[in-house]
Formats: sequence, C-alpha cells, structure tokens
Amino acid sequence: MNLTAFLFRRLWQMIPTMLGVVLLVFLLFNWVGGDPAYVLAGKMANPDDIANIRHQLGVDRPLWEQLLIFVRQIVTGDFGNSWATREPVSEIFRTRLGPSLVLLLPMLLLETVVAVVVALTVAAMRGSVLDRTLMVTSTVVMSISLLVYIIVGQYVFASLLGWFPVKGWSDDLWRNLTTYAVLPVLLGLMVSIAPSVRLYRTFILDEISQDYVRTARAKGLSERRILLVHVLRNAAIPIVTNVLMGLPALLTGAFLLERFFAIPGIGREIIMAVERSDFPIIKAATVYVALATLLANLLGDLLYRALDPRVQFE
Amino acid sequence: MINHMGRFLFILLGLWVTGALAAPPQKVLHLELSAAETGFDPVMTSDLNTASIEQQLFESLLTYDYLARPVKLIPRLAAAMPTVTDQGRTWLFTLKRGVYFSPDPVFKGQKREVTAQDVVYTLMRFMDPKNRSPYKFLVEGKIIGLDELGEAARKTGHFDYDARIPGLEVLDRYTLKIRLKTTDYNFAHAMAQPMYGIVAREVIEGYAGDTASHPVGTGPYYLARWIRSSLMVLERNPNFRHEVWRFDPGNDPDSQRIAAQMQGKTIPQIDRVEIQVIEEAQSAWLSFGKGELDMIGLAGQFAPIALRGAHLKPSLAQRGIRLDRISDPSIAYYFINQQDPVLGGMSKEKIALRRAIFMAQNDEEMIRVIHKGQAVRNAYPIPEGVAGADPGYRSLLDYNPGEANRLLDRMGYAKGPDGYRRQPDGQPLAVRYTSSLSSQDRELDEMMKKALDRLAIRFESEKLKFPEILKAERQCRVQIRLSAWIADYPDGDNFMQLWYGPHTHENNGSCYQDPVWDRLYEKTLTLPDSPQRDALYHQLARLLELNGVTKVSTTHIRNVLSQPWVIGFKAHPILPSVWSLMDLDASRAPHP
Repeated sequence: MNLTAFLFRRLWQMIPTMLGVVLLVFLLFNWVGGDPAYVLAGKMANPDDIANIRHQLGVDRPLWEQLLIFVRQIVTGDFGNSWATREPVSEIFRTRLGPSLVLLLPMLLLETVVAVVVALTVAAMRGSVLDRTLMVTSTVVMSISLLVYIIVGQYVFASLLGWFPVKGWSDDLWRNLTTYAVLPVLLGLMVSIAPSVRLYRTFILDEISQDYVRTARAKGLSERRILLVHVLRNAAIPIVTNVLMGLPALLTGAFLLERFFAIPGIGREIIMAVERSDFPIIKAATVYVALATLLANLLGDLLYRALDPRVQFE
Repeated sequence: MINHMGRFLFILLGLWVTGALAAPPQKVLHLELSAAETGFDPVMTSDLNTASIEQQLFESLLTYDYLARPVKLIPRLAAAMPTVTDQGRTWLFTLKRGVYFSPDPVFKGQKREVTAQDVVYTLMRFMDPKNRSPYKFLVEGKIIGLDELGEAARKTGHFDYDARIPGLEVLDRYTLKIRLKTTDYNFAHAMAQPMYGIVAREVIEGYAGDTASHPVGTGPYYLARWIRSSLMVLERNPNFRHEVWRFDPGNDPDSQRIAAQMQGKTIPQIDRVEIQVIEEAQSAWLSFGKGELDMIGLAGQFAPIALRGAHLKPSLAQRGIRLDRISDPSIAYYFINQQDPVLGGMSKEKIALRRAIFMAQNDEEMIRVIHKGQAVRNAYPIPEGVAGADPGYRSLLDYNPGEANRLLDRMGYAKGPDGYRRQPDGQPLAVRYTSSLSSQDRELDEMMKKALDRLAIRFESEKLKFPEILKAERQCRVQIRLSAWIADYPDGDNFMQLWYGPHTHENNGSCYQDPVWDRLYEKTLTLPDSPQRDALYHQLARLLELNGVTKVSTTHIRNVLSQPWVIGFKAHPILPSVWSLMDLDASRAPHP
C-alpha cells in the first residue's frame, strides 16, 4: 500500500473512533455532569430563572438535538462560549495553550533526552552498582506524588533558598522559559523521568540480548557504536511510541504545576470547567485530545517506517 | 583646578535638579485572588473575587462608610443619601455632577458624564433575560413596571430599553425617582452593591457580546491590563473626580490610627494595583513571606502557622506585619428538609428527632478541627455586625448528646438488635447527609457521622457535585446538610428570608413552610431596623429551633495580613475591596 492510500485509510478510520468519543462524552456529561444552571443562576434564583438559563444554554432541548449541535460544533470547530465566563472557547484554548506548552514541551524534551541517555548508560552496565542504585532510586522517586514534590520544592527552592520565583508568569516567552518555568519543569521531571528511565532501560535490554548485537560484537564493533547505532535504532520504536503517547497530554496541560505556580495554562482551565460543569470547554478539550491521540498514533506509524524500512504500510 | 571643581559642582547641581524634578516612584499594590475572575460586566457577575475588582472600576449610587461599625450607608455617585417617602416606597436620588466615565474609544475622545438615565439603563439591564443576572433578586418584584418589561422580553426575545418604566422616573439630568411596589427599607442596600455599578449604554451596546472584557465605569481605577484567570492590572482613572479621604474614626483606636494616616489625602493614593490569581494557599503564603504580595487573606490551613489564638505570632509581628481580624457577616447552619418522609413533618416525634440530631453536633469541635480556630460559635440566624443581630441569644440546641439521647428515648426511637435506633413504628432509621466532593466536606462527613453515632443513628453519605447539591436542595430532595450564607447586604432580612415559605425551591433549602412563621416574617418586611423588628426576629429564630428546622452553628473569622508598608487598611465586612482608600509607603516597599 502506498503512503497516500495508507493515510487516506487511517484518516477514514478515525471517523468512527471520533463518533464513539463524541457519544461517550455526551452521554457521560448528561449522566453525571451536573446542571450548571443552578450555579449560574446565583444565590437567590427562582425556578423561572433556572428555566431561562437552561433555555439559553440549550440544555432543555431534546438529547438528540443537543447531540447534533455537538457534532456541528466539531465539524465547524466552533464550540461556542464558556457557560461560566461567556468567553469564546476558541479564545480560551488560543490564550491558555501557550503557557501550558512553555511548561510541557521543555519537560517532554528533557525527559526524553535524559531518560534515553540514562537508560542507555545503565543498560550498558546492567547489574552494576550504578544500575542497581539508579533502579532503586527511580522506584523511590516515582513512588512519591507530584504534589509532594511541588509543595516541598516550592518551599525549599523558591521560598527558603530563593533560587526561583514562588510563582508568576509574564508575556515574555524568554523570561517565562528562563525564570518562571524552570522550577515547575524540574519538579515535573522529578516525577516523569523515573518511569521513562525504567521503561527505556527495558526496551534497550531487550535489544541488547538480541543475536544481532552478539554478531556485531563478534565483528569487533565498539560497544559505543553497538549501543548508539544498532541498539538505539531498534529500541527507538517503542521509545517513540511512548513519547508520542505523551503528546496529547500537552493539550490538557499540567494542572497541579499550573495551579501552584499560578501559570495561566489550559490544565487549570479544564479543571475549572469540570468544577463548574462548563460543558463547552469540556467538550472542546475532549474532542481535541481524542483527535490529538489519533493523529499521534498516525504520526507514530509514519515514524516507524522512517526508523525501520522493514515496516510496511498495511 | 577651578575648572574641575566648577564642572563637579555643575554635575552635582544637575543631579539635584533631576532628582527634585523626577516624578515620585509609582505606588503599586500587589494582591492575590484565590479564585479566577469571571469577567467584568457587573450585571453578569456574582462572585466575591470579581466583585472586589468591580468595586474599584464601577460606582454604585451608594456605598458603605469605610470606618463606621456597625456599617453605615453613605453616598457614592449620589450627591446625598436618597430622600425616602411614602413609607419606603419612593426613593429620590440626586447624582453628583461632573462624574465621568473612564476614557474609552466608544466615547470618541469626549468626556462622558454620568446622568440619571444611565442609572435607569443600569437597573433595566438586571431584568433583561439575556443577561441572566445572578443579582437581579435585589430589584426583582420591586420597581413598578420593571418586572413586566422583563416578562415581555422573555416572551418576545427582545428587551425594550427605550420603554418608559413608571417606577423609574428621570426628573432631570441628575435626579431620579424610583417608585417601589411595596415598602422596602433595604432598597438602599441594593443600590450599594458593586454589581449595581453604573454603566453607559453606548459602551454596553458598542461591545455587545463581549461586555465582560470592556469594563468602563466611573471608579477610581480602570482596567489597564487583563490576562484572563491570571493577572489584572488597575491604573488610576484619569477622569476620576477630586475626592478627599474623610471618614470619622469614632472611638476605635485602630480607626483613629488609620484616620491619622489618611485624613485629607486625595483618593486614590495608590497608582496601580496588580492582582494575580493564585489559587493555592501555599503559593500565596510563600509569596507574601517573600514580600511579593502586599496583603493576603489568610487561608484556614495557615492560621496555625501565622496565629497564636487571635494574634499574630511574634516572628511575624516583629517584621511589622499587621493582622486585621473581623467576624464575617456570615453563618454556617445545618438544616433538615421539612418535607422529607423520614425527618420532615410537624409531629412531636419528628420534631424531637430533628432537635436531637442538632443537639448532637459539637460546634466547638468543628471550630477546632475544621476551621482551625478561625470561627466562633454563633447560634442566631443573623450574625454579629448585621442589623437585627442578637449576640446574647441563647440557643435551645447547644451541644448536649445526653439530652438528645433522652429525647429520642422518650419519643420511642428504641435501639434495635444491631445497636442502631429505629423509628417509633419499628422501621429502620438512617440519616442521609449531603455534601460535596471537597476535602473539607469529607472532614465534615466524619463529624456528622460522629454526631449520629452519639445518637446511635445510622449515617448515610450522599456525595454530589456542587451544582447537583443546589439542584437537589431546590427540589427538596436533600435530607440534611450544612450550608453557609454570607450577607449580600448587612440587614437581618438577607438571612431570615432563608426560611420563608415562598422561597422554597429558591434558597429555602429546608423547604420550611409554616404559615405562622411566614406571617411574622412578612411583618418584619414592613418595619425598618428597630427594636420592634428585632423582637420579631427573635420569635422567628426561636420558632426555627423549636420546630427543629435549623441549627445555626458558627460564624467565620476573616484574617487579613498586610506588610508593614501598607497604610490605612481596615478590613470591611461588606465592601469587597477598599484599595482606593489605602496608601503605601513606597520607600519601604521592596518592589518598585
């Protein structure tokens, strides 16, 4: 199958998946989502006020009609306005996604690079003191909740030692990257690196025990060349899969980090929307994440081919 | 040599002149909001955080005196207090002259003066169904002709802002007569709410659909910069009139200290207010500790760190940090649904069961465990500082598990073989307590379980999201709940209406419908704040206890910490913010 046909087929397959997501989100929200009219109406609303709000939000319409509106919103990309603040949903994503990405992209990049390097190092020294120490440390580090890292890290490094600001954000990308995002990124890495190191180490060890590595060694290739060229290339497929699986999470932000460091990201916004039963934002976030997941999978398939020419599009 | 000396002197002189002529450093107040704002169209907002900013951007006709306690209404946009005639049914307001909206492109470079017609337009907006105003209840059913216009708009989908409303009569450019359907001595409080800040029609129509992003008012500040849910920067409104800080401190030493610092200064003294949304209490606390914030509202979990009893810990006091501590005009109260098949009804045994449940609640333990000491026992439905309060009131429902158990024994709630009590007819008895999913509510669940265990009554928990709790409450489906109410305005009526029969399905969560109680309450509505009305309130409070409808438990204490360089701050029970009435000692502040 050629690339165009493959792409066309995969995109076509996304439609039923998306429809499933849409249906699930819609049913879940109507089942457990809560009725926002009671909050929006204020402290002293009467049944008429509630009815008026429900009418304006469209939640008094038949379910099938609401579902059709949802589908139309997905097709047009216009999810309307937030029920709580009346801000256009598109504007919310446009303005809040940037800060989240400033936080999460460096985190993803650093996590991947550091985890691969460390995993290669310890895999090459399998069974050594360094390997065992790092594995035990990883287990301990990943057993501690992000919340603990944030609370302790913010207190020690920002407040006590004064190395970083306690919180804050600005309009200046460089300042955000070099000042405000540094501590949140480091704290986020504390939690995310350890599992990746363990996972990548396993991938690499799987490859190291393969026959082609023994052959390469018999041919006299250096360990460095075997690891960096042959092993890493073959271990790259599961590593890339793992990295790509993390991409859709960029759209949902890092709620705890954003909240503690007062970063105006999309994670905070989505959690607020859930608390307020702000369905337009929840709908948009769910659809975007589902779409990003499907696209990340597609990208993964394309990258597999690039990494390993033996992989065929089917 | 002389040349060198001359040059040196010349440079010195230059430096001196530059220093003398340079503008004084900007006074910037750094604050936090514990929850994100929701937009700045006053008619559409209801939360306290947003109101604190709107209080500075917009001006209502009236406001509250900064220092007077109990709080006292004073004019804001009005030139004087309104003339009230016809037994509280006719209100004559005269506006100050020369009050201008902050500059905005909508005004095309012209200064735009506030007129009586703007007040009419502002009041009309509350009844426009499109605005879904959470605070329309303050005018709903009150102004002659206004409700009818809202009703018509609901049918036609169009609100006629050009319609003539009999109850809103513009006598001249600066004079407005408001006629009410019935006597309402509290109408003045409605006109003091930040949500009732006056807006200009051309601004609202010019930014139709996005009015929340374009707040144009007459307040001391305007919104200079806004990053939603993150940062708001207020700067002096260049059109703000000349106003002088002039408040009577009375005999209160703290007020006298503030008056000595502020009396005679022009308003506002602070050039710029930067407000950051910081949702986590730890982040705000650490920022305050580093001097990045000038003031914070002390969150409950940090009270044990910052306070010893009602005072600042010495380590903070030595740094010059000040504590302002006031009792909020609020109550936390348990209520039981009077229409519930198990707990409701007016039979003797049902009333006894409800009273026993209330008597098993240990309020002191709740203050200690839940509020970390930052609340006080208050048994009266009207909290201290609010007109109609009775600080000496003695409750019939104070914590007394022994008496509660004896009451249940007497009424036939015998214990079954499982050790739990049964209903007098032998049916199983369980009490379902409704609460939200928050961590504090989980602690409250534990407290309620302990209380019911004291009575050997089976406890059931109903966990709902907050909107669902409100829905269940308004549909009379909640069995028992701990709720809270904070004053919209400082009058007892704002609290007593919580049990008014016709407010069932609105905010009478107990669904209490008692004709005797309702008649007494209606009588209070015809009376101004007076001993006669207080006596009626006393009867109403007693009936609520006797009938086992509600138990008022606590009143929250508000603690505000401010840095040594903050001048003139006094926490106000009703005003959501007082930034324009404060000052900063810029020379002591660590940030520019």
